[in-house]
Amino acid sequence: MNNMFQDNINQLSLLAAAIILALTVWVAGKYIKQMKTDRSTGELADENWDGIGEYKNELPAGWAYTFLGTMIWAIWYWTTGYPVNAYSQIGEYNEEVAAHTKQFESKWANADKETLQAMGEGVYLVQCAPCHGIAGDGMGGKAADLSVWGSKAGVLDTIKNGSKGLGFPMGDMPAGLLSGDAAEKVAEYVANGMKGDQPAEFATCAGCHGADGKGMNGMAPDISTYGTPEFVKMVLEHGKKGFIGTMVSFKGRLTPIQEKAVGTYILSLSHND
Amino acid sequence: MFHWLEQRPFLFSVGVFLVIAFAGLIEIVPDFAQASRPIAGKQPYTLLQLAGRHVYIKDSCNACHSQLIRPFKSETDRYGPYSVSGEYAYDRPFLWGSKRTGPDLHRVGEYRTTDWHENHMWEPTSVVPGSIMPSYKHMFTQNADLETAYAEALTVKKVFNVPYDKPGFTKLGSWEEAKKQALEDAKKIAAEMKNQDVKDAVARGEIPEIVALIAYMNSLH
Ligand code: HEC
Ligand code: HEC
Ligand code: HEC
Repeated sequence: MNNMFQDNINQLSLLAAAIILALTVWVAGKYIKQMKTDRSTGELADENWDGIGEYKNELPAGWAYTFLGTMIWAIWYWTTGYPVNAYSQIGEYNEEVAAHTKQFESKWANADKETLQAMGEGVYLVQCAPCHGIAGDGMGGKAADLSVWGSKAGVLDTIKNGSKGLGFPMGDMPAGLLSGDAAEKVAEYVANGMKGDQPAEFATCAGCHGADGKGMNGMAPDISTYGTPEFVKMVLEHGKKGFIGTMVSFKGRLTPIQEKAVGTYILSLSHND
Repeated sequence: MFHWLEQRPFLFSVGVFLVIAFAGLIEIVPDFAQASRPIAGKQPYTLLQLAGRHVYIKDSCNACHSQLIRPFKSETDRYGPYSVSGEYAYDRPFLWGSKRTGPDLHRVGEYRTTDWHENHMWEPTSVVPGSIMPSYKHMFTQNADLETAYAEALTVKKVFNVPYDKPGFTKLGSWEEAKKQALEDAKKIAAEMKNQDVKDAVARGEIPEIVALIAYMNSLH
C-alpha cells in the first residue's frame, strides 16, 4: 500500500483524478444553478408539441462549423479516405510477407554450410519427413532412400533399375544399361561431379545426357550436378512419378534459399564427408 | 414541416433504419456477392470425389482437421496459399472446421499422394511415428455410397444451378453414365495403390470408401 503512493505515475494519476472530480462538481454546480435561475428569450416557432414550444434561435457558430466540417470530412472519407486507406487483412499479410522475405534473403544470402544444413533439417522435418521418414531412409520403400540417393550407390541404383517420372522430354531411362565394373566406374565418375578422366563406358550415357552430362539442353537431367543441391532443386521443381511412388512437386512452395538448404541437408545423409 | 412523417411512427422507424443501414448495405452486400462467386477454374466435385467427401463427413475428419488456411505467414509456409471464399462455392456444407488436432487439409492434394494416404489411413503411425490420428482400416473393405452422392449432385445441379454438364465443367450425366465415370476414376487411383483387396474390389466394379476418400483428398488444392 505504501509503495502505491510512492510511485510517481500513481501520484500523477491520483492528482489528475482529483482535478477531474473537482472540475466535474464545479461545472455541474454551475449548470444546475443556471437551470434554476435562467429565463429563456427569443421568438417562438409556430410548431407546438403538446404544449412544448421551440425558439427560433440561430445555431451556435461552433456547432455550425463542426457540422460543415463533418460534411466535408464525409465527402473525403467516401471518395478517398475509405477506398485508399482502408485496412485490409490481405494487405497486412502481403506487407508482412514482403518484409519477411526481404529480411530472410539478405540475412541468409551467404549462409555457410552448417547454417544451411540446420535450416534444411527444419524444412525437411516439416515438409519431407512424413514421406521420407525422420531419418530419411524412405521408411522401408515408401519413398526414395535419401541415405543412398545422391551418392555413388544412388547412381548405381539408377543404372541398375533405370529412372522414370521426372517429366523430361526424353522420357524414361531404361534399366540395366551397364553392369559390373563398367557400372562401378561410371557411377564413381558421375558421383564425383564428372571430374577427372571420363571413363570410356560413359559413351553409353552420353547418347542421352550429352558428353558433358549436361542433358542436351534440357532433354534429360543434367547429371553433372548429381549429388549437389542444384540437382535436388530440379527434383523439387519437377516432382517425380517413379517406380517407388509419387514425389510431389514443390514448385513455388519453398524459397530458393530453402531449396538449397534442404538439398544440402538431404545430401548430408548420403555423403559422409 | 415534417408533420406527415412525425405522425407515422412505423414509417418513420423504417426510414430511420434504412438511413442507418445504408452504409452497411452498400459496403457489405456487393462485396459478399462478389466473394462468394466461384473462383475462375473452380470445378464442381466429380461423383467419386463427392462420395469421398461424404466419407470425410461421416467419419468426422472435420472434428480434428480444418479446411481453412488463414492469411498468416506461418500458415501459408506450412500449407500453401491462404484460402479465399470463392473456393468453397461448391461445398455444401463447407468444412472449415474450428479445431486443429491435426493439420489443415485445404491444400493437402498438393503435397500428399495416393500411395501416402493409403499407408496413412491404414495405420497413421506407419508414416508419422508420433501420430494420434486413428486408423481407418474399415474404409478398405466398406464400399462408398455412390447413390447418395449422385442424389446430392443432381439436387445441387437442379436447385442451386451448380454448373454440372455445362461446357467446360465437370460432367455428371445420367446415373449410369456417372457411375461408369466414377468407376473409371476409381481404377486410376487403385492403380497407384498397393492393397490387393482394394485393387480386386475395384476390378470387380466396386468402389471401397478409401478410394473415394483419396479422390477427395487429391482434389483439395
Ligand atoms: C535413353 C537415354 C538415357 C541413357 C542412355 C541414360 N540416361 Fe540417365 N536419364 C535419362 C532420363 C530421361 C532421365 C530422367 C528420368 C526420369 O524422369 O526419372 C535420366 C536420369 C538419370 C539420373 C538421375 C536419376 C535420379 O535419381 O533422378 C542419373 C544419375 C542418370 N540418369 C545417370 C545415367 C548414367 C550414369 C547413364 C549411363 C550408364 C545414363 N544415365 C544413361 C536418360 C538416359
Ligand atoms: C508425398 C510424399 C513425399 C514428400 C512430401 C516428399 N517426397 Fe521426396 N519422394 C517421394 C517418393 C515417393 C519418391 C520416390 C519417387 C520414385 O522414384 O518413385 C521421392 C523421391 C525423392 C528424391 C529422389 C528423386 C529422384 O530423382 O530419384 C528426392 C531427392 C526427394 N524425394 C527429396 C524430397 C525433399 C527434399 C522433400 C521435402 C522438401 C520431399 N522429397 C518430399 C515422396 C515424397
Ligand atoms: C483424433 C483426431 C483426428 C481425426 C478424427 C482425424 N485425424 Fe487426420 N490427423 C490427425 C493428426 C493429429 C494428424 C497429424 C499426424 C499425422 O500426420 O498422422 C493428422 C494428419 C492427417 C493428414 C496428413 C496431413 C499432413 O499435412 O501431413 C491427413 C491427410 C489426414 N489426417 C486425413 C484425415 C482424414 C481423411 C480423416 C477422417 C477419415 C482424419 N484425418 C481424421 C488427427 C485426426
